[in-house]
Order: sequence, then structure tokens, then C-alpha cells
Amino acid sequence: MVEDTRLIELIGVSKEFDGTMALDNVSLYIRKREFITLLGPSGCGKTTLLRILGGFEMPSQGQVLFEGKDLLPIPPYKRRINTVFQKYALFPHLNVYDNVAFGLKLKKLPAAEIGVRVRRLLELVKMTGYEKRDVEQLSGGQQQRVAIARALVNEPEVLLLDEPLGALDLKLRKAMQLELKAMQQQLGITFVYVTHDQEEALTMSDTIVVMKDGHIQQVGDSKRIYDEPQNAFVADFIGESNILDGVMLEDELVSFCGKKFPCVDSGFAPNEAVDVVVRPEDIMIVGEDVGMLTGRVVSLLFKGVHYEMVVEAGGFRWKVHSTAMQPEGSRVGISIVPFNIHIMHKQLEPDAGEDGA
Amino acid sequence: MARINLKKFFKGTYLGLLLAFLYLPIVVMIALSFNQSKSRAKWGGFSFKWYLKLLERGEILDALRLTLVIAVLATIVATVLGTLAAIGIHAMKKRPAGLIMNISYLPMTTPDIVTGVSLMLMFVFLRIPLGFSTMLMAHIAFDTPYVLFSVMPKLKQMDVNLYEAALDLGCTPLRAIYKVILPQIMPGVVTGALLAFTMSLDDFVISYFTSSATEKNLSMVVYSAARRGIEPSIYALSTIMFLVVLVLLLIINKRSSLENVS
Amino acid sequence: MKRSAFAGPYVVWMILSTVAPLLFVVYFALTDRSGAFTLENLAKFVDPIYLGVLWRSLYLAFYCTVICLLIGYPAAYFLASKDFARNQALYVLILLPMWMNFLLRTYAMMSVIEDTGMLNNFLKWLGLQPMEIIGTEGAVLLGMVYNFVPFMVLPIHTALKKMNVRLIEAAEDLGAPPAQVFYRVVLPLSLPGIVTGITMVFMPAVTTFAISRLLGSGNFFLFGDIIERQFLESNDWNFGSALSMVMAVLILISMSLLNRVDPKKEGSGAY
Repeated sequence: MVEDTRLIELIGVSKEFDGTMALDNVSLYIRKREFITLLGPSGCGKTTLLRILGGFEMPSQGQVLFEGKDLLPIPPYKRRINTVFQKYALFPHLNVYDNVAFGLKLKKLPAAEIGVRVRRLLELVKMTGYEKRDVEQLSGGQQQRVAIARALVNEPEVLLLDEPLGALDLKLRKAMQLELKAMQQQLGITFVYVTHDQEEALTMSDTIVVMKDGHIQQVGDSKRIYDEPQNAFVADFIGESNILDGVMLEDELVSFCGKKFPCVDSGFAPNEAVDVVVRPEDIMIVGEDVGMLTGRVVSLLFKGVHYEMVVEAGGFRWKVHSTAMQPEGSRVGISIVPFNIHIMHKQLEPDAGEDGA
Repeated sequence: MARINLKKFFKGTYLGLLLAFLYLPIVVMIALSFNQSKSRAKWGGFSFKWYLKLLERGEILDALRLTLVIAVLATIVATVLGTLAAIGIHAMKKRPAGLIMNISYLPMTTPDIVTGVSLMLMFVFLRIPLGFSTMLMAHIAFDTPYVLFSVMPKLKQMDVNLYEAALDLGCTPLRAIYKVILPQIMPGVVTGALLAFTMSLDDFVISYFTSSATEKNLSMVVYSAARRGIEPSIYALSTIMFLVVLVLLLIINKRSSLENVS
Repeated sequence: MKRSAFAGPYVVWMILSTVAPLLFVVYFALTDRSGAFTLENLAKFVDPIYLGVLWRSLYLAFYCTVICLLIGYPAAYFLASKDFARNQALYVLILLPMWMNFLLRTYAMMSVIEDTGMLNNFLKWLGLQPMEIIGTEGAVLLGMVYNFVPFMVLPIHTALKKMNVRLIEAAEDLGAPPAQVFYRVVLPLSLPGIVTGITMVFMPAVTTFAISRLLGSGNFFLFGDIIERQFLESNDWNFGSALSMVMAVLILISMSLLNRVDPKKEGSGAY
């Protein structure tokens, strides 16, 4: 499992491209055997961060340590870090076997040993029997597997994966998520995984780093990120949320939609304007007479396991997930327990994330 | 950083030397075309005299006229022929289309001298006297594929449903081509025409074999003059030809890079 | 009317103006003056004089191709590299001469290397002995390289530009230092460009007649020269056609040999 030793440490790393900051003073550590996911919308800096670790970009500022030693002067080909590239970057002039053997041949290992190791890796990624195939004739999922085998055959300390499942269809993606996670646990190496898919991040990661505009928004495990989002952006990006403007009247009392609600947060300035976040599944539909707010169901969708309703109440359109169905147009009450009302400081643009790491 | 700049400096120097190799002779020739003195050894002062001399030589003016007339006529015919061909081939099945495209590559892959000789043999065998008309036919023959190859990619980029949509909305096939396809492929047609024009202006080898000793284009005049030795007025002629082709090529290049952007 | 019918006039024209003339070459090559079938024209070619000319054409074209590759590959590589990839003007300048009349460029080269040309004036100015370049095989070779080097740069540059930068990063990532990245990834992936470049240089080099006539001062013949002579001086069209046919066949053979250099096999066979 994840060890406590810090394998990689980024200290105040910034990267500027033609005047725009792709990364702005980012600090982060990555532990040994950790499955860490960099999550965020496109342009948030997650790929830049990964490319700095791979050695393909130099930060404009800051330090990157690997086992306590400066990583930056080391060229990519000497780093014990390997990458699975976004569109795989398999060598089109080499077949599957030669692609996987590429790194080992560079190390001038004896052919017999190369053969053993390549076959072992192809077995791991379930591509045995494809050795002689032309990589361009493989399906996306197969190319993906070859790319992983090619990177892992060098027995890196760290595997970097840049949206490796992006090109696959939903079903294959789900299956590969589980396989990757299993592989990481079996091999016991560190995975740094980049994605914009929050579900993927939640399924696989030990640690999730949520990023936006070159800043880290929050670092934490899946449960923490989901249950205790640090700001409205994280709340919105991870899962679905109702985000409302509110005013913190005093500790454990917040006002929104023209009403006062008890909550569990404290430590805000009196009458501070805040973001109020409520998860759709945390809203209870109750009778009109007992609800904290009353309103009308304006739309209804069946989503398989639950119903997704939009309830207009207190001047806000609430997203509500519930297993009980209320017909469109019916009048209902909604009720939220104090524990499920999350209060967040309003985000001050654009430096809000600086304390994130 | 310093090392990276050193690398860039090395690359830049290499490319600079290559440019010097490619352009120095041309620059020297252009400079000599303005040299008052006939000697190449010394600079006798700036002068347009060799350019003026060109005007006095009927042979050169005739050659200029012939070159332009052939280029214009060949371009017009090649553009019409090549554009229609591209539209037709585009509508064909893969196999016949591939066969015709392969034949179209022939003039580009056959050595010029063989193309020239083969045309000459055919003309003579069919008792068509060598001269203006044979040269024109030869130029149309090698120009047309350039138009075809410029138009073809534009057709491939075009939405396949456009033509059908036009038919669906009541166009006759001819009208659909004129109203819908042609405007779409126009940039390719113009580039092809410019390319054909340039190729025609520039040709020596094929013209040399398919024309007569009395019907010479500018390249042929340059060749026979060069065989006699160096002549400053030929420098002047070459300078003009260079500049014309240069301008044409810059226009073509500009057009195609603009198209690549959009 | 079917749309494919628009290609009709073109097809007829191409058959008349491209395919038929080539058949005439074959016809003339295999007949004598009276029109009777003969192999004599081809047999006549097997003569030390003509074989010598062929040999000279081949080795000059070979040297020219090798020199163009040695000069052109680094140029294409640098031009495609990050430092210069955005320099469109430089790219255009290097490739522009491709489209310029080779005769004019040969003429320009002539004025540089002539006995009383610019180069010798420069040498004299430096106090050095003037060189007799014009009229030698070296001059013809120089003229060929000068004319054809952009034809080598273009296809290699195109192949390098098409290459995905991620592949280079992937090679580095897997432990390849710069020299190995070049040898194991860049070079094999640019091989199709090299093959095209060789074709585009070798073919005109082996068939030229004007360059040898102008820069070789008629001191020796190349294959193109003797073909030209058969048609325009000795009027032996049958023999000229036979020579043209030999040349076309030689080129066809060398092209198909070159295309046999399957980039895929070559890439993995390189180690």
C-alpha cells in the first residue's frame, strides 16, 4: 500500500507559455506506491505538470525533487520514470514486440532476457500472441495495452499516464480502469494519472489533486474530495451539486432562499457572503406542509437507479436525486439535514487555490 | 539556455550556408546583368544597357511572344481539361479512378527527355510538322496533370452531400456542378492554373524536342546562347525570367498556405 | 449524363499525348528505318563507347544523389526542428529554386565557375591560382548538386514534419539518448522521404543533357547527350528510341528497387 516516504516533491513550480501561466506556484508531494490523479478541466495545467515530471518541459520556476535529489537537470532518458502518452505514441515502424522491447534493447540486455521480459509484460496486459502485429492495425484498446507494456517493461519507479483511456469507449474504459488499478497494486509502483473524468479519478485513485487554471484546488482521497469539497469549483467539478449564494449569519446558521438553515460549519465572519453547496442526493422530498422550502417539480427524468428531478423552490432550481418519484407539476416540500449543507468561502479570483497544496 | 542557443546558431549557420550556395550564383548573375562593362572581372558601373539590348533583338522578342502565347493557351486548355477530369474522376469508383490517376503520374515520373522524345516521334510519325502547334500540344500534355492534382484534394475536402443536396433541391447535374461544386474547388483550380502557367513558362527539355529551330521559346534561346558562351544580355533575360517565376511562385505559395490555414 | 463522363476528354487526351507517344518509342526502338522489326538498335548499345557513357552517367548521378542526401538531410532536419519550424520564409527560400528553370540556374552557375568567372576572380584577388573547373566532370557534378539539392530537402522535410513529436518524446522516455532517438526513431521514420528524395534527384541527374553540355563544355557525353544527338544531330531515331527505352527501363528498375526498401522492415532490421 501507499508508503509514507515522499518519492517526488514539487516546490513552488510555475510554468509559463507565451505569457500565460500553465502552472502557478504549485507545490505537491507524491508518495511511494501512490496512485495519484491530477484532475481538472482542459487547460488546468495537469498535463504540463505531468510533462515536467517526464522531463519534456522545464518549469519556469520552482524545484522538483526525486527521492530528495534535484530531478530537473536529469534528461528524460535517464529518469526512472516512464510515460503512457495520450495517443499512445507507439512507433509505427516497429511491431508490437519491438515496441515493447525498445527500452530493453537500449539497455543492451541479452536477447534472451529481452524476450522473457517482453513476453511477461505482454502477458500482464493480455496481449500475448500479438508480438508480430503491426501496431497501426491494432484497436485503440490494444494499442493502449501495448503502450502500457512498453512503459512498464523498463521497471520504472513511476508511471505517468496522460489521459490514457480518453480514446476508448465507455465499456472498455471502465474495464481498463479496474485493470490499471489492479496492475498498479500488483507491481507496487507509483502511478501519476491525468484525467478530466471525475468518475475515473474517484474510482482509481489513492489521492486526487483537483486543478484549475494552473492552481491546485484541493488534494485528498476520493471520499474527502467528494464529501468535503473545499470550494464551489471542486464541489461542482466532482459530482453534481446545487450551488447557491448564501449569507453566513452566525456559526452554524446560514441564510439562503430567503430562509435560515441550521448547518454544521463555523468560523466565518458574521454576515459573510458564502457559497452553499448541497448534493442532489442529499435533498429529501417531503410533503408540502413539512418542507423547509416548498416548490414544484418542473422536470423528471428516470436515470436507471434513481429519478433526477428539478424542483423549483425558493427562487432556485434544485437538482434532486431520489428513488421516489414525484410527477411533474406536483407540489412538494424539500428538506436538508444540517450535516449535508456545505458552506464555502466565496472564491476570490484568481488566487483562490494557492493554499490548496 | 546557452547550449540551446549554440545549437540553434549551428543550425542557422548551416541553413544560411545552403541558402548562400543556392542563391549566390543567381545574385551574381543578376548583378552582372546590370554591369556596364561586358567583362565579368570588373564592375563598370550600373547600367540598364543589356536590358535595352534585349529589345533590339527580334529573336528574343519573338521568343518572349511565343513563350507567353503557349503558356496562356496551354494553361487555359489544361485548366478546363484538368478540372473537368478531376470532377469526373472524383465521381468514379475506386479502381478506374486509381488507374487514371496512375496514368496522370506518368508525365511526372517519366524523365523529361523521354517525354520530349516520345512526343517528337509521334508528331513526326503522324506527319505533323514540328512548330507552334506541336509545342502547344506538348505543353498541354504536361500541364494538365498539375491542374488535376491541385483540384483533386479540394474535391476530397468537399462535403459529399453538397452535390446531392443541389440535385435534391432541383438542380440539373450540369447546374449543380456549376453552382455548387465549382465555387468549392475554385481555389484549387486557380492554384492549378498558376502552376501550369509557371511550368509552361519554365519548360525547356520538352519544348526543345517538340519545336522547330525557328520556333524557340525563351529557355531555348538561353540554351543556344549559353552554348555559344556568356552574354550579358542573356543575364538580363534570365534575371527577368527569374523574377517573373519568383513572383508567380510566391503567389502560389501564399495561396496554398492561406488555404492550409482555413 | 453521368458525372464521371467529365473525365472522358481528359482520358482520351492522356492516351493520345502520354501513353501513345511512349508506345512510339518502343515501336521505333524495335524497328529499323524501313519499319521492319529488329533488335539491332538495342544490340548497338552494347558497345564500349555507349556503355562507358552509361557508366559515367550512372556514377555522376550516384555521386550527385549521395552528396544531395548528405547536404539535404541535415538541412531538412534543421528546418523541421523546433528552432526553425515556424520560419516559413526560410522554408520557401530553400525550396523555391526547385521550381526555377534549371537552365537559368545552370547558366548562373556557369558564370560563377567559368575560367574568367566570379570564383576565379575571387581566387586571383586572394592571390591564389585560378582553377579550371568548367569542362570537367566536377563542374557537371557541382551543377547537378546545385540544381537538385532542393529536391532532396523537400520530401525529407515533409516526412520529418509528418512525424509525431510524441514519438521522439516516447523514445527519450524509454531511455534513448539523442543519438539513439535519431537512429532508432527519426531516421527509420524519415526513410520514405529519403526514398522519394533519392528518386527525385537520381532521375533528373541520370537523364540530364543540358547541364553536361553547358558545364562540361561538350568535353564528354552523358547518356542524355547521346540521346539528344541521335534525334537532333545524327538523325538516328531508331537508335535514339532504343537508348530512351533503355533509360526508361533502367529508371523503372531502380525505382522499383528503391520502393522495395520497405520502411517497416528496414526500421526493425536496423538493429
